[in-house]
Amino acid sequence: MTTQFDIDCRTLDEIAAAYGLGAVDAHEADAIERHLDGCAHPHADARELIAAASVVPMTLEPAIPSNGLRGRLMATIAETPQEHRVAALAPAPRAAVIEPMTMPRRPWWQLGSTPSAVAAVGLAAAVGLGAWGISLNGELAERDAALRAVASADAAYVAQGDAGRGWVIETGDRAIFMADGLADLATDQLYELWLMDADGNAVAVGTLTDTDGVAIVTLERDLDDAATFAVTVETERVEQPTTAPVLVAALDA
Amino acid sequence: MNEDRRADAQLADRIRIGDTEALGELYDRYAGTATATALRVVGSREEAEDVVHDAFVAVWRKIDRFDAERGALRAWLMTVVHNRAIDRVRARRASIDLDDADERSLLRTGPNPTMEEALTRASAGDLRAAMASLPDDQRRALELAYFEGYTYREVAELTGVPAGTANGRLRLALGKLRDALIGTAAAPLNFGDASLRKDLSR
Repeated sequence: MTTQFDIDCRTLDEIAAAYGLGAVDAHEADAIERHLDGCAHPHADARELIAAASVVPMTLEPAIPSNGLRGRLMATIAETPQEHRVAALAPAPRAAVIEPMTMPRRPWWQLGSTPSAVAAVGLAAAVGLGAWGISLNGELAERDAALRAVASADAAYVAQGDAGRGWVIETGDRAIFMADGLADLATDQLYELWLMDADGNAVAVGTLTDTDGVAIVTLERDLDDAATFAVTVETERVEQPTTAPVLVAALDA
Repeated sequence: MNEDRRADAQLADRIRIGDTEALGELYDRYAGTATATALRVVGSREEAEDVVHDAFVAVWRKIDRFDAERGALRAWLMTVVHNRAIDRVRARRASIDLDDADERSLLRTGPNPTMEEALTRASAGDLRAAMASLPDDQRRALELAYFEGYTYREVAELTGVPAGTANGRLRLALGKLRDALIGTAAAPLNFGDASLRKDLSR
């Protein structure tokens, strides 16, 4: 068992310069960082000294690197994936199998949750964006928001049905719906997104009309108290669903 | 946020979405200082360029960990270069965990708007003059710590002084560089406290 090493305010002020220069032991660095994170005292002088250490390289005359270094660097990064993209583009595990959807016999939004209908397979399945055809050299800039949301997701649920497949991704206190290649709509139709509680009460949380490429909609509510997510096709935004769902995800499975 | 830092933050945003040209621009801005730092630490141009190469690749790979609100990209980059250079010279002593060191660098490099603002006004000549004007013992302590990777206790052993004295020299040296930037008076601390000396010499 190790004992956590702590320092007081005065000691921190004493060794801040050494810390800024990287000249303290690891346990002292840990203690300084914890202290600065949690201390009510501003430690303004210490923080200035720490920041001043970054000036030291500028006291040197610049040294011009050889002509080949830039080319070597650019060649390396062209083949080097970025950490956050590696996380977002990780392939889905084969264990994440989606169960076939069973359509309800009663009005679907009165059924409450349907955990057996569609499996919630968690983050690992949702980050399987490789299946969407996203490549490192493709449209990453436009899809960065989606990838970042996936990379930082707390939970993810697969929504599946006649319209295709999508994901509900929960990050902190917000949730987004993402889908790629949903079935096309007639010009007078839209997809309406719903959250239902366990008693079957449905609340509209957004609409979607553009089905080209990756669609991303931030839900108008968080997933708290929601048991089911669903998507219906409507001719306008409505207060309650008027058609059977074309996508469903169980959020409490 | 000053203009340089804003420009760097924009570069960081572009790098984050996979724009390789943005990393090239970052290289063009800072390769000279990065190479000088690495060369000063490792002593060999070939090895220094390997360090610079690896540092920029690390920034490319880890850019998502960088938060422009918490620090300056220039400062983070230079600390990443420094980490790698020091790792090479420390190899004969004790290697450092570079991934961990890069994480620490994010904390160590910011934020400090006062310093960043001052940096935009200071010339490189001012900073070199400030370094040159340091008393020999302070400059030597700073060089041993920053460019040769010794802790202040190791600096104390190498220079034959108590740990508190070596630490005090580092503080005074860095304080003078800070003052050269922002013109505030350093406030030397009292090193006469027995309990503190004991703490620092542990």
